[in-house]
Amino acid sequence: MTALSLAAVSVRRRRARRAGVGVTRPGFAWAVPATVFFLLFAILPLVLVAVLSFTSWDGISSPHFNGLANWTKLINDPVMTQSIWLTLLLTVLGVVTQTPVSILLGVWAAGPQRNRAVLSAIFFVPLLLSATAVSVLWRALLDPNFGIPGQLPWLFGNGNLLGSQAGSIAVLTFVGMWQFTPLHALLYQGGARAVPQVLYQAAAIDGAGTVRQFFHITLPQLRNTMITSVILMVVGGLTTFDTVLILTQGGPGTDTTVSAYYMYQQGFKEFDFGAGSAIALVLVVVATLISLAVVRITGYGKMSSTAEGI
Amino acid sequence: MTSLPVTVRSRASRNRFAAIAATTALVLGLTAACGSSGSTSASADSGTIHVLVYGDAGNTVEKQIVDTFNKTSKVKAVLDTIPGADYQSKLNTIINTPQAPDIFFNWGGGSIAPYVKDNLLLPLDSMIAKDPGLKSNFLPSVFNTAVIDGKSYGIPMRGTQPVLLFDNKQVLASAGLSVPQTWDDLLADVKALKAKGLTPIALGGADQWPTLMWFEYVFDRVAGPDLFQKALSGDKSAWASPDSVKALGMLKQLIDAGAFGSNFDSVKFTDGGSPALLAKGKAAFELMGSWEYSTQQSGNPDFAKNDLGYSAFPTVSGGKGDPNDVVGNTNNFYSVLKKTQHPDAVAAFLKLMYSDEFVKAQLGIGNLPTTTNTANFLATSASPAYSQFQFNLVKTAPSFQLSWDQAYPPAATTPIHTAVQEFFDGKTDANGFIQAMQSLSNS
Repeated sequence: MTALSLAAVSVRRRRARRAGVGVTRPGFAWAVPATVFFLLFAILPLVLVAVLSFTSWDGISSPHFNGLANWTKLINDPVMTQSIWLTLLLTVLGVVTQTPVSILLGVWAAGPQRNRAVLSAIFFVPLLLSATAVSVLWRALLDPNFGIPGQLPWLFGNGNLLGSQAGSIAVLTFVGMWQFTPLHALLYQGGARAVPQVLYQAAAIDGAGTVRQFFHITLPQLRNTMITSVILMVVGGLTTFDTVLILTQGGPGTDTTVSAYYMYQQGFKEFDFGAGSAIALVLVVVATLISLAVVRITGYGKMSSTAEGI
Repeated sequence: MTSLPVTVRSRASRNRFAAIAATTALVLGLTAACGSSGSTSASADSGTIHVLVYGDAGNTVEKQIVDTFNKTSKVKAVLDTIPGADYQSKLNTIINTPQAPDIFFNWGGGSIAPYVKDNLLLPLDSMIAKDPGLKSNFLPSVFNTAVIDGKSYGIPMRGTQPVLLFDNKQVLASAGLSVPQTWDDLLADVKALKAKGLTPIALGGADQWPTLMWFEYVFDRVAGPDLFQKALSGDKSAWASPDSVKALGMLKQLIDAGAFGSNFDSVKFTDGGSPALLAKGKAAFELMGSWEYSTQQSGNPDFAKNDLGYSAFPTVSGGKGDPNDVVGNTNNFYSVLKKTQHPDAVAAFLKLMYSDEFVKAQLGIGNLPTTTNTANFLATSASPAYSQFQFNLVKTAPSFQLSWDQAYPPAATTPIHTAVQEFFDGKTDANGFIQAMQSLSNS
């Protein structure tokens, strides 16, 4: 090694260090706008909701403090406990049903087949509809007398899908799946496209068929996409509201009253904003804990590329 | 669905409308569906009174009346509307602010009780003392809905909507049945229709409030209006009384007889499910507010014209309630805020609510006003026989019970709806229902 090349290396190192400092440590000033917005529109309302949860307020007269009344009522409220379990159940069902379908669809859509673009475009239509439109649509399609169940009595019996807890949960899960699978399929399509072709070529030379390639290359390579997608599903599942509002209104009875819907009911239907705020706070705490757990378990925080040589 | 009449009957259905409105807006790509026409100017402007109304097709009449008022009055009235679906929650947010109107639309009873409690509303008794016509020109059973703690807080301002038993004449004829006069007739009809493989009674159970109508009538027929009034005024033992137990037993008998089929909890009135059952001959009866008629007229015009029958709710032998009692939506009301600067102008405006012009205009858009002079103009209505039937029913009714979910304050709506639904689908028994009703807060 010559002296010249040594000098060149050391110069490069110094430059790299200087550049590195400049890139990784931007001034705090750059974060001010985002921080201010976050404080103003996320933290401040959260604090106000926390304060409101210790008051009794009908939205008309001024709120007055009632100590722990809302909280003791909430702790002894079977509907609240049930609503948390229902929310978790719907979230888990959402992840379990949507993930396999969207992986298969996404990987398929990433391929080079003919008609792929046209069919993919059709699959993505539900994504373009608002949750409200989707719910109203399915509400009409599932009418027990004039909808699909009325035509297929051998499958649906008397068609009383929304008249039982199991039936309502099945409908909510199905409609959620119909609505959100396209979004996740889109994520998986992107992920599958990014898998280097060399891996498949090497596997093909080794004699691996399509199925083995899928399980040994595609799936492991999609790990990070999967984590992203599952976190989106969990967050979406915990805040499920619009489909419940339109499809079941929390019914029959209180059988599908999930936490977000219960909060809306207390606040905006019964005008008891104190109780509604307490539920909201519980929801925030539960959702935060679950998100933290998911991030910790999946290693989302230290996500790094798994592609060979990158 | 937009065929529902101008006065939407329940909070539940109002929320439903919110959903539909939102859907329509989103589907059409109109993102600013709501809040475009709320009241923005302060009502303290010198020389104006603001009139806030539920925004819908019925506003043409309100506009006409405001114009008439402004022709002669120095203080000018300004009509503000809030699109229907959001009315109650938006009213709630502005009512104690400087943006609050002078006069506002409401449903009487529980819908204004919280405002009365917060001392925001002006009792109209001194206006009535000056002009007794403000009370005497209205049917008493209707006027009383907006009387709270002995003081009058509202003047009826649209149409009445009693609950009637509708039937499909053709289905009844082909089964050789007639409209039931008594509860026993109804049970017999149910049995006969069931044997023919029909759903005897269409019920939009998923909406919950149609189920409630059955409780309202059966309780009134069995116990009279006093039981509910006692319960509403705080005597919770009323729910556990023998009459209450008897009424629940009768309802249970009807449900167990298969009167409503087995999938009523998946059927809605608001999306056209239960009206279609009646119109297509899959069911023989439906208990519904008077708006069933206009719903059928727009959805199934031939059926409405030829085969839609209507009658009063059957009598119950041995019941304490007067067989002429009705339940439903008595009317909508104008209430006045205490802070109004122009009480005299307000009084003059309210006087128009029993004018001939008002009655004719309301009849013209299909509403049935509840003034004493309405009888003179019934022939001019769009469907005179139907209007006449309803008007006589309401006029002769010793008691017109406001729907329970509107007689109680808003906080009770969901618990009531849950209780009636769980009783109908067998999740709770009579004791469970009684407990649920006893745990309602009535203030």
